[in-house]
Amino acid sequence: MRSHRRPRLLAAFLLTPLTAGCFASGGGDSGGSGGKGGDGDRLRVALAFPPAENLSPYGADATLLSRLGVTEGLTGLDANGSAAPALAESWRRDGEKVWEFTLRDATFQDGSEVTPAAVADSLGQATRAKPAPAALAGVSLSAKAGSGERVVRVTTDEPDPVLPLRLSSPSLAILSAKAYKGGRTDAAGTATGPFELTKVNGATSASLDRFDDYWGGRAQASGIDARFIADGTARANALRTGELDIAEAVPVAQAASLDEGARRDTATTRTTSLLFNASSGTFKDAGLRAAARGAVDTSVFAKDVYEGYGDAGAGIYGPAVTWAEGKRSAPVGRAKATEPGGDDVVRLATYDNRPELPEAAQVVKQQLEKAGFTVKLTVREYSRLEADALDGKFDAFVLARNTLLDTGDPVAVLASDYTCDGGFNIAQLCDEDVDRAVADAEKIADTAERQDAAMAAEARILGSDAVVPLVHQRIITGVADSVQGVILDPYERALVGTGTRR
Amino acid sequence: MRQRVATVVWRVVLAGGLVCGVGLLPWLTRTDPAYTVLKARSAEREPSPEVLDDIRQQLGVDGGPSHVLGGWLGGVLRGDLGESWLSGSDVLPGVVTALGASLLLMGVALLVALVTAGVVCARTLWLGGQRRLGGRRSGGTGSAVLASLPEFLVASVLATLVGVQLGWLPALGWYGPQWTVLPALALGLPAGAVLGRLLDDLLPGAFAEPWALAAAARGLTGRSVARQAVRRCVPALLPNLGLFVVGLTGGAVAVEQVFDIPGLGRTTLQAALAQDLPVLQAGTLALVLLAALATGGARLAARMLTGPALRDGALSSLHRPAPPGRLLPPVLYGAVLIVVVGAGLVRDPLALDTGERLRAPSLAHPFGTDALGRDLLARVGHGALDTLLLASAISAAALLLGVLLGLVPRVSAPLVDMVNAVPPVLLALLVTAAVGSGAATPAFAVGAVAWAPLATHTASLLRQERATLHITATKGLGAGRAYLLRHELLPAVLPPVLRHALLRLPGVALALASLGFLGLGAQPPSPEWGLLLAENQPYAERAPWAVLAPAAVLALLGALAVTAAGALRRGPRRRRAPSRPDSPGGGGRAGGGQAVVEKEAVVVR
Repeated sequence: MRSHRRPRLLAAFLLTPLTAGCFASGGGDSGGSGGKGGDGDRLRVALAFPPAENLSPYGADATLLSRLGVTEGLTGLDANGSAAPALAESWRRDGEKVWEFTLRDATFQDGSEVTPAAVADSLGQATRAKPAPAALAGVSLSAKAGSGERVVRVTTDEPDPVLPLRLSSPSLAILSAKAYKGGRTDAAGTATGPFELTKVNGATSASLDRFDDYWGGRAQASGIDARFIADGTARANALRTGELDIAEAVPVAQAASLDEGARRDTATTRTTSLLFNASSGTFKDAGLRAAARGAVDTSVFAKDVYEGYGDAGAGIYGPAVTWAEGKRSAPVGRAKATEPGGDDVVRLATYDNRPELPEAAQVVKQQLEKAGFTVKLTVREYSRLEADALDGKFDAFVLARNTLLDTGDPVAVLASDYTCDGGFNIAQLCDEDVDRAVADAEKIADTAERQDAAMAAEARILGSDAVVPLVHQRIITGVADSVQGVILDPYERALVGTGTRR
Repeated sequence: MRQRVATVVWRVVLAGGLVCGVGLLPWLTRTDPAYTVLKARSAEREPSPEVLDDIRQQLGVDGGPSHVLGGWLGGVLRGDLGESWLSGSDVLPGVVTALGASLLLMGVALLVALVTAGVVCARTLWLGGQRRLGGRRSGGTGSAVLASLPEFLVASVLATLVGVQLGWLPALGWYGPQWTVLPALALGLPAGAVLGRLLDDLLPGAFAEPWALAAAARGLTGRSVARQAVRRCVPALLPNLGLFVVGLTGGAVAVEQVFDIPGLGRTTLQAALAQDLPVLQAGTLALVLLAALATGGARLAARMLTGPALRDGALSSLHRPAPPGRLLPPVLYGAVLIVVVGAGLVRDPLALDTGERLRAPSLAHPFGTDALGRDLLARVGHGALDTLLLASAISAAALLLGVLLGLVPRVSAPLVDMVNAVPPVLLALLVTAAVGSGAATPAFAVGAVAWAPLATHTASLLRQERATLHITATKGLGAGRAYLLRHELLPAVLPPVLRHALLRLPGVALALASLGFLGLGAQPPSPEWGLLLAENQPYAERAPWAVLAPAAVLALLGALAVTAAGALRRGPRRRRAPSRPDSPGGGGRAGGGQAVVEKEAVVVR
């Protein structure tokens, strides 16, 4: 009997190295090894969305790259929602269809110069990507080196007044020629940002080192250890145990578990609204839409459901769109409310990918029922719901929507969500006045006038009662005490920058 | 030999059918893969026709199902599992890494489960070893409560309490041995409780066998006798252990999520939702292979433990008439449950008042309020009816199906392996494809899995029962197969399987709620118990009562089911019970000679 035990014990020892392969690589405790003494510690960051496409710069992963300070475009967005200089120092419009961008003196992370030819080539690659980046949907442009030494000329087939805004999209980041060698576009070591991607462990983690020759100055942190943690509670827990320096997007439910000083919140361009199906079913009747709008008390959402991490719904654009509040006018053309009858059934739907939405929908349900509607609620995973919503199978829908989309152009969301030809028209709104107002806004190049026209269209849309803005979300970032300089970006495009350190 | 070949063929046919079924998933469910892939890559992207066309071309699905499936099969033959439709990277390394993490987690969890099972049985083993078991029955309340605890709840409690508050072990990640402890506990405790309960059910029978008396008479220590008793009972549970091996490897999604473990459960869940067929096929294939290995291993181990006795039909029945359990516990649990449900029924479960959210228990709200300020007592009470009716109906159907299929193990065993290996979400999607998304779909989807452990249990018990001497004797007296089944086999097998089914009742209720995100099953604001647990989980730390209330009633239900089954142990066979329950040859089925033969068959080593 005894003699059998030893081999068993031995086997356990022999198994140990085998099991090592079963653990995830890139541990949390490698964090301190970045070298101290003025050279900056490495930052440990948790991001909420794991890369879906191997950090391809053309899809949603592009935002991850820009949040980690890897990639940059020709332009960026400033606090007022206008285009700001990034790789391009300045730009000017040259006729209806041509824009000229003057580049700054910068180098790619692989050491090569950022030349007009390289930029033109990079933009050309983006236009040929399949499927096209969202910021280029429905647009065709070509870029080539311009006459000056540092000038890139971008030509569009149709006049494009918002091209500088469009080029701020993370999916139009500029990469060096090396990125396009081989089958897929690879941003590792080919971008221009302050941090350089050195290693990616699937959808689990990524390592980044500081790029010393960054044009905007050397970053204070020597590198970043990024982890992708989808579960919000898990992110909050990791921050609380000191495993992390920065945890992105802490859910409202977990915010209270963080120390007061560790949670930073900032208004975002994301608005949660209640959309009414204006083409079929109960809410085809504008009077009933008005009655339902009147029945919804929007004050409770920001205060209770979002626990104060939101601002009460004021319009399609929230406070993060800083110019909107001052230009807002009263909704135009509202119908008179009619009394709902007993057989007015409302099929209300929402999704559970954002935990607050089912709660908000249940509050809406109760409020509508108090007003005399009969409400049936459906909650599904987003991808199982969206197609039905776009087909108009629900009467009402609670949707959290980024109002500046990929381009940063305020009119784009109005065109796609509330016009007859809009591709994302869950409200099924098809109203001549709205279409005209949006079309007018789309033609304007001047930023301020375009914003005025967008607000005029917003007043029209709100007047149709197809949408009731419930709450403008604030995003909560968990930041450890010792960390300074985290970028709280309302557009959710930046998180770590040159000044971020611990 | 011919039968063995037939079984192998059946197994291969099933595996092939499954892999083809996965390959045809988008066409069966009539859901465009280009659409689901787009949504998984970028949820906010507008699904315009041009974008979808581009993705279709990229994936190569424009050729239709046969083209896609043919291409994949061709690749598999060359050892190439293809590229992920989502990320475009090779499938094999990703799936192998995920499988490694999951296998390790499963291994440690199994260790925890075995220890837990040991603790559950400790009392019976101790008493049995000392030959003082006579007439005493463990109530099983503790293990039933443990078995009904939802994994995700145990996981979040452990992560917050041990990981964050106490800081004893890391709360998140998967970087080394100390990271395995908490997730393994979350998975292993409920699984171990089920296994322990099943083992505890068989042990008294083993201690009542003649060899035990002989061993005690010969002066063997209680420990050796107990060890042999375990050895005697384990073969009947090995197939179920095999199911746990596969189930814990592929189905630990909730625990993987809470602890951020890059395991196979999450990989296949994501692939199933996005219809990332290459990853889904590879993951399923890996689990099916693992299932075949686990079954083979379990069979081999069972043969090593009781091989000669099984072959020669020299076992004695482990299912002797047992004394009924005490009546008090089930009556008590039932009364508490009725009081809680009754008190809840007179309140309004839907009235929400967001100003009163997450209030601690008070006189006005005895169970506190949830995140929308609804009264939890009312919700628990109103949810009881729906939950109990549906869960009991599914459990009953699963029991019937499990016993029937358990009678024909050659047909059912490969089917069990298959059903058990398929990720639950995938199975739900396939069931939805088959029967549409009606009101009964979630019941079908859960029922499609729930029968499997019961069938396995039935089959393994039958296998042992068939090898007992009293069956040989009854056959010798000229009994036909139908008579044997009705009067000897079923009466011996049914009670433990019934208790097993009851033990899993709370699990069925939880499984129903876990399908909600597909739009199947109860939808908010329904107060169904599984849904209550799920919607209050994010608040577990700030408002523990919000999850404790539904978890407690679920545990109470589990305890009630198990103790009630114990108390109902009377029945016609009791008339044949001997005066001393643990005397050799109890049951008087095979006469006096049995004791001697049995002692030689199961040699005390």
